[in-house]
Amino acid sequence: MSPTLTLLPDFEQALADGDAGAAVTLVEHLLANGTPAEAVMLDVIGEAQRRIGERWQRGEWSVAQEHTATGVSMAAVEAIARQARVRPVTRGRIVLGCAEREWHALPAMVVGTLLRDRGWHVTFLGASTPADRLSSYLRDVGPDATAVSCSIVGALPSTRQFIEASTGAGIPVVAGGAAFGVDDVRARALGATAWAPRLPEVVTIFDDLPTVVPPAPPLPAEPLAEQRALELAHRRLVDAVCERWPVDCAEARDCVEQALWTLQGALLTGDGRLVADTARWVSALLTARSVPGMPTTALAAELTMVLRDFPLAVDLLRSHWDATCP
Amino acid sequence: MVIDMRVKDQVGFMHDVSRQLAGSLNVRRTVLTALHLAVPEVGDWVLLARFEPGGGATLTAWDGTTATTATVASLSVALARIRRVGQTELLHVELDTDPGDGLASLIPDAAMRAAAAGLRPADVLGVALTAHGTTGGALIAVRGQGRGYDEPDVRLVEEYASRVAVTLDSARLYEERTHIANTLQASLRPPVLPELPGLRMAARYRAAHERMEIGGDFYDVHGTKDDVSVVIGDVCGKGVEAAVLTGQARQTIKTAARFDRSPAVVLAALNDVLYAEGADRFVTVACARLRPAERGTHVTLAVAGHPAPLIVRRDGTVEEPEIRGTVAGVWADLSYREVELLLAPGDAMLLFTDGVNEARGQNGFFGMTRLRDLLAGYAGASPETLCEAVEQRVVEHLDGAAHDDIALLAIRSGD
Repeated sequence: MSPTLTLLPDFEQALADGDAGAAVTLVEHLLANGTPAEAVMLDVIGEAQRRIGERWQRGEWSVAQEHTATGVSMAAVEAIARQARVRPVTRGRIVLGCAEREWHALPAMVVGTLLRDRGWHVTFLGASTPADRLSSYLRDVGPDATAVSCSIVGALPSTRQFIEASTGAGIPVVAGGAAFGVDDVRARALGATAWAPRLPEVVTIFDDLPTVVPPAPPLPAEPLAEQRALELAHRRLVDAVCERWPVDCAEARDCVEQALWTLQGALLTGDGRLVADTARWVSALLTARSVPGMPTTALAAELTMVLRDFPLAVDLLRSHWDATCP
Repeated sequence: MVIDMRVKDQVGFMHDVSRQLAGSLNVRRTVLTALHLAVPEVGDWVLLARFEPGGGATLTAWDGTTATTATVASLSVALARIRRVGQTELLHVELDTDPGDGLASLIPDAAMRAAAAGLRPADVLGVALTAHGTTGGALIAVRGQGRGYDEPDVRLVEEYASRVAVTLDSARLYEERTHIANTLQASLRPPVLPELPGLRMAARYRAAHERMEIGGDFYDVHGTKDDVSVVIGDVCGKGVEAAVLTGQARQTIKTAARFDRSPAVVLAALNDVLYAEGADRFVTVACARLRPAERGTHVTLAVAGHPAPLIVRRDGTVEEPEIRGTVAGVWADLSYREVELLLAPGDAMLLFTDGVNEARGQNGFFGMTRLRDLLAGYAGASPETLCEAVEQRVVEHLDGAAHDDIALLAIRSGD
């Protein structure tokens, strides 16, 4: 058995205990024994994170527990980053961050650490950064590339702002993260210079970027107008759907928000698979919490009612909401 | 007809140049964008020289795919002429001679000269980058056989160069000002937290002004490893003016704490200093003194018009120490009360500013109840996670609404 696999249960225990000291000791032990930083981040930290995500999805862990455990993983990545920072900078500069509403800084931290390990100078802006602030960093740093990480669909619209800010300054931008799915369709639709599939391939993409890129072309006018209208009405729409949808569990509002953000993301990217994915996500979440009846189907019906002034969004629901989900 | 097409292309080219250079405020990126646009319209190979104050130049060359950079300590003859009078230089390269000889007058770097010569150039054009009456650099462009520069071509390159020059000048000015501002701001920025045995700390700062890293809130940590002062505060006002006052308050607190770390004494000293200045400025501060205890960390706490920190016990209980005190800087001769408490290993203390509890979204203020309820779920979390959770929840509560500066400082007892 590989050393990373052997230590995985101990690492998971450290996450469950909120014990950053133990997690850092484990990671430093692996690095000292010659395990590559990449393997530690992917096979130990990444795998443990995937499992705690499932624990929340299954209703075993609260958001605060998941958050506390993620804090321990971040301390572990920081321990790897400390070692990476000792290496000399041999490549150019990259500004890396998450757009507004994206609070999952961990994937970006992992990418930043791998890039630093490869010799890039990395400026990490952290979670939920306004586009205005990114622009001021781009002016001050003048990097060779921007990298934006997006895990949640709710952050796709603000990620587009990141892409506009970067390409508007002629700087190539690499987009990656779970919200982009399994191919480059969404990244390309949003105007990114390149799509980062998954770790560890992400880091080599930066080697072959163009020096200067043209501004990202404008998004199609009609879907954009409807997405903006959805954004403005977001809170009102969430309230309206929650009032009608008879599901009584702590995560009901999250499901409604997720569905509405998904529609915004699907309008901007033209990718209906987002809608199907969210239907399955909602269904898995509610099944794990033993919500009776056909709540996922009912949610689509309520959304369709409440969204009557949003024809493109309703079309997306009709064509892509997974009808096989109860 | 042929001429018309060329004019049309040139108009389109200049339009692209204007659009892509517009608003560019970083010198390095402006140079790259300008060179990228120049191939092939301006030349097959281009070089941008930025004259440096000492008489040398920074050179960036572009062959359509790769940028290379070099610096030279002195200028070649034709470049020196361009610098002095801003005159365009056009050089026809004889086919039967070594092109390197002629290029040497315009291209001062040997490797770049070799790259240009490799294209067997017919013409080499040198144009001044002049903005607001000052020539800050030059653009050198090279074209191959059969495509030499005629009069309209030269005018196009000059027009292109003048736009590049103005953008570069703005970017250079912006960088100079940014450097000055950053240097002056350095002492006002939130400090890097020290690593202390038996304690873990984390902090967050979110300025009201999205483009700034500083504002009217501040935090600080100083002292020795077994006697540490931790402060968080909020001065009246916003933006740069407020940030300057935070610098003064931080310095006063730091100096006072060197003589006596008792929070009540530190706050009284701060009050005296600000009051004596007679300005109508005030500061709210929470000040904690941390010392290692037999089991955990001993805390002495005093506040001046500031919300008391919250204590998050390992078991999820959230406590608010009973402590009040008057804002500093308004009344003479104040004295402050202190409370003592113990943080057992795993207990945490969160210091915050009113940007948190008074964050106002569509559902009213964020408030202390939400804050306490949130913290109860984060018992035992790392200080980084505590800060992150509060910041995220407050920003979500705001839902895009404007906010005051937000500062958070979390301390957890135990390694």
